[in-house]
Amino acid sequence: MNRTVFIVGAAITLALVAILFIGLGKDPQAIDSPLIGRTAPEFVLKAVGSGQDIDLQKLRGKPVVVNFWATWCVPCYEEHPVLVENARSIGPSVQFVGVVFNDTEQNILSFLQQRGSAYPTLLDEQGKTAIAYGVGGVPETFFINPRGTIVAKYAGPLTPELLQANLAKALQ
Amino acid sequence: MIALLLALALQVKVPDPAQYVGPPKGTAITGAQLDQRTYEVASLLRCPVCQGMSVADSPSTVALDMKAQVRELLSRGYTQEQILSYFERSYGQFVLLKPKFRGVNTLVWVLPILVLIAGAIVVITTARKLEARPEASATGQPDNPATTDPYIARVRELLEKE
Repeated sequence: MNRTVFIVGAAITLALVAILFIGLGKDPQAIDSPLIGRTAPEFVLKAVGSGQDIDLQKLRGKPVVVNFWATWCVPCYEEHPVLVENARSIGPSVQFVGVVFNDTEQNILSFLQQRGSAYPTLLDEQGKTAIAYGVGGVPETFFINPRGTIVAKYAGPLTPELLQANLAKALQ
Repeated sequence: MIALLLALALQVKVPDPAQYVGPPKGTAITGAQLDQRTYEVASLLRCPVCQGMSVADSPSTVALDMKAQVRELLSRGYTQEQILSYFERSYGQFVLLKPKFRGVNTLVWVLPILVLIAGAIVVITTARKLEARPEASATGQPDNPATTDPYIARVRELLEKE
């Protein structure tokens, strides 16, 4: 009996320790997006500054990079030059779009004037587009293929390598 | 001027939940009932940027946006089930504070009951065994079973002498 109790107890303890150990290596905020493999939620939003309407549906036919960010987000400062430089070097074959939520047009314009801009930045005033994309924290970036399907999502600031690796999925 | 502003505002189009969960299946609500239901439904949603906090209780801007959308959908007549489905579609099951009774999640509901039953069985079995011991003694079996331990044998010997 004592031996059985010991074996059962040890098995349960080991299983719990293993589960906790696996969990230690994971970011609790990193959520797998259920949108991968699905059609990207459609939106028409105004570009900050120009006031031009950007319709996601009309961008079909080429890969689209949708980057959710905000001027109050510190990692977005680090990520911004990566996106701008890549958008400039890749050119019009890939459409980059910034979507800003919980922010003001004035703050965004000031940020872009100081740090440069190479693609339209849209204001999602009530955060509804961000909710439709399951955005929790910023920055979060979605990679959409030419058929309008979300093929990858990255939560956190993109490095040039991460951007290229995820963009490659959208180009396939 | 107002017409121009309206025309400009109409050009903006955000993703519509109707596209994913269909038209509202409930009745549109307002006033205090809307406040109450907003809190209740938002309490079932996890704030994606907090540690185990509901959308109803979180002061974060993301949670406030989510709560505002819950309110708007309730006011348009969407049911609790439709609203939860809409958020689950974007954020996955992570967003539901009460996991659904399906797949691996079934364990969350079933396991505690199974553990409780197993615990009860262990307690009952042990209690029965403990009850059975004095009865065995009454039937003539020795209270102190034979031992090979010389130390215990010596203790018994000394006790018997006294």
